[in-house]
Amino acid sequence: MNRRRFLTFAAGGAASATLASTVSCLQPFLKKPATVSTRQDIPTTCEMCVNKCSIIAVVENGKIQKLNPNPESPRSRGMVCARGNAGLQQVYDPSRLKKPLIRAGARGEGKWKTASWDEAWNFAGEKLTKVKEKYGPQASVWSSTESFAETFFKSLGLAFGSPNVERHPTLCLASVNLAYSLTFGTMPSFDLANARYVIMSGANRLESFIMPDTVDLIGSTTERKTRLVYLDPRFTVTASKADEWFPIKPGTDLAFVLAMLNVIIGENRHDKEFVAGYTAGFDKLAEHVKAFTPEWAETETEIHAKDITRIAREFADAAPRAVYYAGRRSSWYREDFQFRRAQAILNAVVGNWDRQGGMAPNAKIALGEFLFLPWDDPQAARVDDMDKNFPLAAKGDGAYLKMRENILAGIPYPVKAWMVHKQDPMNALPEQAKTIRMIEQMDFVGVIDVQMSDTAWYADVVFPESTYLERQDPVEMLPGIVPVVVYRQPAIPPLHDTKPTLEIVQGLAKRLGLSQYFDYTIDQWIDAQVKVLPLDTPLEYLKHHGVWAPPDGAKFGATLTQDHRFVTKSGKIELYSERLQEAGYDPMPVYHTPMQPPAGSFRLILGRRAYFTQANTTNNPWLNTFAPENVLWIHPASAAQVGIEDGQLVDVSSSVGALHLKARVTQEIRPDCVFTMHGYGKRSKWQRLVAGNGASDAEIIETAWDKVSGGGAFHETFVKVRKA
Amino acid sequence: MKSIEWGYLIINYLFLGGLSAGLFFVSAVATFLHNGDGRHQRIARWGALLAPWPVALGSLLLIFDLGNWYRFYKLFLHFRWISPMSIGSWLLMLFTLLALAYAYSWLNDGERASLLAHVPQRLTALRTCLRDLSGHRRTLAALGLPLAVGVGIYTGVLLGAVQSRPFWNTNLVAQLFLFSALSTGCAGLMFAFAFSRQPMAAAELRMLYLLDICFLTLEFFVVLPYLVHSQLSVEAVRQSMHLILGGPFTFVFWVFFLWFGLLLPLGIEVGEVMPALLSKSGLHARKWLVGATAVLILSGGFLLRYVFVFAGQMSAFK
Amino acid sequence: MAKKPRRFAIVIDSKKCINCKACNVACRAQNNVPLAHSRNWMNEETRGTFPKLLAAFEPEQCHHCEHPACVRVCPTGASYQRPDGIVAINDSDCVGCRYCVIACPYDARFFREDRGVVEKCDLCARRIDRGEVPACVETCPGKVRTFGDSNDANGQVAQLLATRQYRVKKAEAGTGPQLYYLL
Repeated sequence: MNRRRFLTFAAGGAASATLASTVSCLQPFLKKPATVSTRQDIPTTCEMCVNKCSIIAVVENGKIQKLNPNPESPRSRGMVCARGNAGLQQVYDPSRLKKPLIRAGARGEGKWKTASWDEAWNFAGEKLTKVKEKYGPQASVWSSTESFAETFFKSLGLAFGSPNVERHPTLCLASVNLAYSLTFGTMPSFDLANARYVIMSGANRLESFIMPDTVDLIGSTTERKTRLVYLDPRFTVTASKADEWFPIKPGTDLAFVLAMLNVIIGENRHDKEFVAGYTAGFDKLAEHVKAFTPEWAETETEIHAKDITRIAREFADAAPRAVYYAGRRSSWYREDFQFRRAQAILNAVVGNWDRQGGMAPNAKIALGEFLFLPWDDPQAARVDDMDKNFPLAAKGDGAYLKMRENILAGIPYPVKAWMVHKQDPMNALPEQAKTIRMIEQMDFVGVIDVQMSDTAWYADVVFPESTYLERQDPVEMLPGIVPVVVYRQPAIPPLHDTKPTLEIVQGLAKRLGLSQYFDYTIDQWIDAQVKVLPLDTPLEYLKHHGVWAPPDGAKFGATLTQDHRFVTKSGKIELYSERLQEAGYDPMPVYHTPMQPPAGSFRLILGRRAYFTQANTTNNPWLNTFAPENVLWIHPASAAQVGIEDGQLVDVSSSVGALHLKARVTQEIRPDCVFTMHGYGKRSKWQRLVAGNGASDAEIIETAWDKVSGGGAFHETFVKVRKA
Repeated sequence: MKSIEWGYLIINYLFLGGLSAGLFFVSAVATFLHNGDGRHQRIARWGALLAPWPVALGSLLLIFDLGNWYRFYKLFLHFRWISPMSIGSWLLMLFTLLALAYAYSWLNDGERASLLAHVPQRLTALRTCLRDLSGHRRTLAALGLPLAVGVGIYTGVLLGAVQSRPFWNTNLVAQLFLFSALSTGCAGLMFAFAFSRQPMAAAELRMLYLLDICFLTLEFFVVLPYLVHSQLSVEAVRQSMHLILGGPFTFVFWVFFLWFGLLLPLGIEVGEVMPALLSKSGLHARKWLVGATAVLILSGGFLLRYVFVFAGQMSAFK
Repeated sequence: MAKKPRRFAIVIDSKKCINCKACNVACRAQNNVPLAHSRNWMNEETRGTFPKLLAAFEPEQCHHCEHPACVRVCPTGASYQRPDGIVAINDSDCVGCRYCVIACPYDARFFREDRGVVEKCDLCARRIDRGEVPACVETCPGKVRTFGDSNDANGQVAQLLATRQYRVKKAEAGTGPQLYYLL
């Protein structure tokens, strides 16, 4: 190698290095060739929870890429929550139901054979007809959770001749709805965006559920416009954001409310004008609450009397922009109805009814009705005998737990067929052992669902419904302070051999000789619904916008007129309820000290996290990742007391069952309670992420129901906790 | 999310790269000092012949550590002087090529002939390149020396230039790695001599020991300020030091690296060399001691990089 | 007067964050991020003894720094910064050396074993180029994140930064982060 050659190499190397670096600098500016995309933005409505937010499905090359918020909906406040975003996974879930299935082994064994729709319908039709012939049409139960298409399913049951329509409110909010309805004649909404003082018992609006109330509360509390007082035995996200959090002793919220009434009425802080003009029974109420002093309430609730007094005063002073938030899932205690009733009464006496920042009756938008052929009303009485057992409760929803009790006892008549739509009673009902017995004594169990739930796992035939992103549903009207009409259309055609509910119902109806009652298409149904909307081309509008709200926005005060008649017996807001008295219940709330768990035992309380819709979405991989299994929350002192450590497997047992859970020793719960999440420990092996992972609280919760509404009471169970 | 991205492949490469740099360096010094004559002929020749292989192996490890190894050529489509890794890739490539040429220049005629015999007749271009380069040893050594130093230093700059890792972010790391690399070069030759069947000459052992004493001493006097200054620095640095002051790497750092890998071999070498220097008598080379000392130093070099690569990735600003 | 170039930034009001995970799932859906990794994450702080307890939530993602260390150390220039401030990755040039993953003070980057390249939040650049906002910003029930051009004096970001106190994370790392946390 001589000098010249070396220099050549060196210079050449340097030149190429410089060139290369220059080229690399240019790279970000080189345009990539444009790819032609077939993007479509399809407005529709979410079905991951009951809030029914408006979304826009972004579909590219036939695949749903993303679900974006639809800013046009005042209801969904321009957001899509975690589970809304995860809705994609429901569609592309490889283990979702793809074809009708007929059981090939024993119930719960998990052996299936795929069937054609005809085979499945024929099978179900045969079984249902046999039951009808042998026991009568009332020997069937038709249970469902609310959905846009639920009406078709319910109608099938009624047309079949069964009065036994059971709906989800009896497992959720029956007591609160009934309490407010008996007081105000209707269940109102709460204007949390404008309220200045909010008291919440549980309800955990910032964690358990993402709905407009959540959005409004975040905005108003963080901007320091609203004071939030929060009562919960657990330190939840809402507790962390509240101005004041009281770890109230579970089951004593009624004492708190009664003491507030005692202070407010005793100190004359109530809205006298409102009370005089719109309520009935005030004098009786004033007399009734004299005994419920803050000092008395302190011994019940473990909240200082001076705090109760102060809060009562602050609440009354802030009125009418002060609300005691009703809550949603009120399946707490046997006395739950009276607690919610006391809330309603409290809200009434401070005069926040139909006022901005208070409560407002839900406005509605009239939708047309498709005139289908009516059937004869079912002749038999309901198996849960609502008239006798829960005379004041919403008959159309039923009382699920009473029904189960009667079915197991065979009274007043045998029930041998069970059709389930969009519901998982195996997990939704407490004391799972009884649900299994109820299934076992059925001649036929049929389930309509999008995934293999635990109930579907025990069924005889499973009908796969198309997911909400794959089907056309009836138009739905969502009542509220600002009502909306929402539209659901398919973002993509069904991926698998699935059908929407109406078609499933029509197939069944044909085999049951009921076709004439379902002789219409979904489009005909929708046409009739939208015809009456004040739009030029309502269907076109909804197809393009997905949602419509009347332009006038929120209105308050329509009921605050002299001649307004509330839908109650007296025509006024009933602080004292004669109807309750006549039916044999306390006309004004009476407090009973709740039982305390014995030593070594704890009260099991429940709660929700907004990315899990009850037991429904725990298997969604994008959501499951946040909590792959459920654990038992227990206070360190209690853990020490029973000799367990953080992370240890523990035995949790009640009078009806036992399960194993890992312990989570935490400061975030009262020492006398334990808590676990719902929706784990599934039996359905198709739900791979949660099958056998964690444990199902349904196995250990004891059967109990609210006295007045018949709704489930799920916080009445005491459990023993021990090292496993 | 803090993750450990660089593991044993990188640690080994850093060690091997340093080893090659050190071998080349020592060989180059020997070539210059004595023009490759008898006295340090073996050091120069063995150093030259050994130098290319650790770095070649290390480079292979580097390539296979990449997410897409077949894209490694992209490193040579760009030159970004602000990226230590870009500079390093080029340095590595140039150094390896040059070390190969240098090694080739140290082949004697017989070895060159047998190598040529293995090259097919058709590859005439290659055969032309394979001329006698033995006359250019000094030139190649001169060209390669800055590259070797570059390779030795840049492995430290690679770590030291990362502002987000307080354990690394000091200019001392470059020096530390350089002196450690040069020292492992000495140790590599000591190891090779200890295991060869030929006896060790006192003169060559003296040269290796003296060089290594310099390198180890310099290395020690970089470690010292690194430790001291870090305690006088910002909280993030002080906190990161905990990894070797009570944390998971404490034992490895102080016992295996500092004592067994640096101070003990330094002491042995001084102990061996001192009497010879003072009394001007020859060194008595006990092969087992030479070999053991070499192993200590090589292990120390490896463990230094082991501690630094892992601890650095575990350190952060809070 | 010449219009200043756009410089995107996000202002975060952590007080409003309820850890609902909407932003995490929206990002995953929008950018096809596998479950093993996340482009955004939550910093949770919980402390105290019952009943005096605190829980606070602080979302984080790539800070799209003014002087990004990740861009500086990249040997191929695959990591680059757009003129509007977004730090992005050109997949085809990434060799997967992961130097940038180590260089980021915020641990915002991660290595995709399945593709052999590095990935991170790119402020949904595709959406921005279409005139939309990043998925995490749009989907949030609490509207915790405000996104915009910090050089637009009339924009929300500039307004917030001018009228509210804020902090950035790990300022001492010296990369000039563009994620601002309101106090």
